[in-house]
Amino acid sequence: MDPADILDHQFVTAAYTITWVIQLGYLAWLGWKWRSEKRHAERRNQHSR
Amino acid sequence: MKKVGIALYAAVTVALMVWGFYQAIYVAPDDALQGYVFRIIYYHVPSASVAFVFFAVSLLGSIGYLAYRRSSAVRAQIADAWALAGAEVGVVFCTVVLITGPIWGRRAWGIWWTWDARLTTTLVLWLIYVSYLLLRRFAAGPQVQTLAAVLGIFGALDVPIVYMSNRWWRTQHPAPVFGGDPGSGMKDPAMLHAFLWNMLAWFAWGIFILILRFNVERKHQQYAEQEAEEALAANI
Repeated sequence: MDPADILDHQFVTAAYTITWVIQLGYLAWLGWKWRSEKRHAERRNQHSR
Repeated sequence: MKKVGIALYAAVTVALMVWGFYQAIYVAPDDALQGYVFRIIYYHVPSASVAFVFFAVSLLGSIGYLAYRRSSAVRAQIADAWALAGAEVGVVFCTVVLITGPIWGRRAWGIWWTWDARLTTTLVLWLIYVSYLLLRRFAAGPQVQTLAAVLGIFGALDVPIVYMSNRWWRTQHPAPVFGGDPGSGMKDPAMLHAFLWNMLAWFAWGIFILILRFNVERKHQQYAEQEAEEALAANI
């Protein structure tokens, strides 16, 4: 394989990988935030009883 | 029923992402001038389009908040949640644009960055919305939502400037894929199909996380409201 083709392939792989790391990382953070909101509400309900 | 709908939408989105990836990597041919590295464009351009649309959602939410803040508290809070969700998810997509663009540029142009109009206005757009998010995160007091709404409206003014920048000025950035001069755009149908599938897939993904972010913010608002009401009742 031509070295230029290998380099092209590495650049495309890097771009696609970084895109998915950012998107899935954000989705994971949203999931964590959702859970912490729910836990916070549950704790508050327990205290108010 | 709601859970089934969400699961179905998520499944369709994942299928679209896989199909878009397959089209971009295995079906679309190499670009005649740029070769294999052109495939970065199938993620870069749809991410920019989604970011622009979500900043427009933030604009509408900000206008809605300012319009309803004195007349309807519930509507104002809903509008504010849309404004925040649009800005935050827009920043995520804009970050992808600002990272994938230089990766492509390093291979296509030989440089990571140049201060041309398209790149600079996109960086300014990202900075405006990051400052919007920082304002909402760290500022306190009753005026934060109003200040954020004003910043959200002014930030959105940069979107048409970014979009038009490579039409108004001579830039190193390539010509627009759509809406450019008669000679610009994708000529090969396989490339165009790959591009359109990825556009659809990224919009489906973006809408999914936008709605998720909106719901997280609404939950946060409702809990904060309940806490405030209970604190008020305890003081009385």
